Amino acid sequence: MNYIAEIVDVWKKFPLRRERPGFKEFVVNLPKFVKRKPNCNFWALKGLNFNVTKGECLGIIGKNGAGKSTLLSLLLGTIYPTRGDIKVSQKITPLLDLGAGFHPDLTGRENILINGVLLGLTRDEVLERMEDIIAFSEIGEFIDIPSRTYSSGMYLRLAFSIAVFTDPKLLLIDEILGVGDENFKKKSSDALIQLIKGGVTTIMVSHDLKSVKEICDRVIWLNGGKVEATGEPDKVVEAYLKGVGMYNITAN
Amino acid sequence: MPFIFDRETKRKIDLLRLLTRKEITVKYKRTFLGILWSLLNPILLSLVLFIAFKIFMRIQMENYIFFFLSALFPWNWFAASVTMSTSTLIGNVNLIKRVRFPRHFLVLSTIMAQLVNFLFSLPIIIGLAYYYGNGPNISWFLTVPILIVIQLAVTIGICLAIAMVNAYFRDMEYIIGVGISMLFWMTPIIYPLNMVPESYRTYLALNPLTYLVTAWRSIFISNSTDWGAIGISLGSSLVFLLLGILVFQRLGKRLDEVI
Repeated sequence: MNYIAEIVDVWKKFPLRRERPGFKEFVVNLPKFVKRKPNCNFWALKGLNFNVTKGECLGIIGKNGAGKSTLLSLLLGTIYPTRGDIKVSQKITPLLDLGAGFHPDLTGRENILINGVLLGLTRDEVLERMEDIIAFSEIGEFIDIPSRTYSSGMYLRLAFSIAVFTDPKLLLIDEILGVGDENFKKKSSDALIQLIKGGVTTIMVSHDLKSVKEICDRVIWLNGGKVEATGEPDKVVEAYLKGVGMYNITAN
Repeated sequence: MPFIFDRETKRKIDLLRLLTRKEITVKYKRTFLGILWSLLNPILLSLVLFIAFKIFMRIQMENYIFFFLSALFPWNWFAASVTMSTSTLIGNVNLIKRVRFPRHFLVLSTIMAQLVNFLFSLPIIIGLAYYYGNGPNISWFLTVPILIVIQLAVTIGICLAIAMVNAYFRDMEYIIGVGISMLFWMTPIIYPLNMVPESYRTYLALNPLTYLVTAWRSIFISNSTDWGAIGISLGSSLVFLLLGILVFQRLGKRLDEVI
């Protein structure tokens, strides 16, 4: 099989300690520190196993705190698993927190350049696409003005446009299907869906079960850091709704 | 074609260049004089030192201003890099958590931006070299790049370790604040190395900047390449570079939990 990503028995632990005591607390509570309490840990992921096939769109659903965003960060490589192994063999384009690499004092153009390179293009490749990105974002003449003057919508539109034009090979999406006002939201989600349907491998975390059913080829339901169910979108979404006691409400 | 890089290497170089340029642009973005400040700063500094040491204090040493500045400018490059890199990791949380890229580039770009700053002070050094002597000769073309590379290595090593440790232990920032000014007085910048009593010089050799600064001074002032000093500082800079990389890699694995 042609796997883009392989997740083998992945565990992720977060230390759950209170603020580290400062010097003052240390002196005041000296006797208490002699008998150390065991460290509390929170296991966000408990032994995940799955593969992502080239060209598929994998949906990940689950309650808040089920480990969905942790999983995306692990795939992206910004955090490391405590145990287990993650292999990703493609350039990743994250649509997690749009505009993370933006600097408010740089102009739109400068931000496009630096973020395009951060997302995996070379400088020349970004320059080639510069005009397309600007046109898609509909920023217009504001492109040569520092980004701190942008409205939040403009900020998101620009960040989204950069991501879409960087030739994504593996898209990681956290809830973001479209940004901006109604018109731009439609335009941007159309562009994204076109990419996904066009064969870009996608891993998508969403609470919007309707879009998950429409877009995804396969769905994983995460519950408490474990895979509860996996398979056909319709079946898994149905099982999930039953599992959280929401089935009747949406059915009506 | 002299160099053919594969695409990924080319992208990394582009990224480092852009991050460095960003450092510089952002620093001067909303000022009127902009990058001119990098030239103006050392000029004003030289002027005030001249007033303090030549007019007020009347130090007897020959060419004292040139002597002082020839060590001060390299020192400033080092000190500014160290001070600024303490906060490069904790100040870029968004980038570190949301984008995958080599994190050491944040530290490297800070140091490179300060290197550009240092290069802006070279014209003043060259001017002083003409004023007090015959001016630079051919040996500068060999020795200055060598010294830049050595200083880069030691600065990168120290800054990598400090930036990473500061994420875990935020007192580092304050330790560095005091430590840098202590190190300034413990480095032969305002005094020459041969003024230090013989028995203390071995301790001074533990400071990686002692011989580096001495080597800078001999090329700037007397056009001579002090191979002994270069050798010692090359050795210690490699040790610091390796230690820095080691600390950065070891602690980097759990950076996401503390930042």
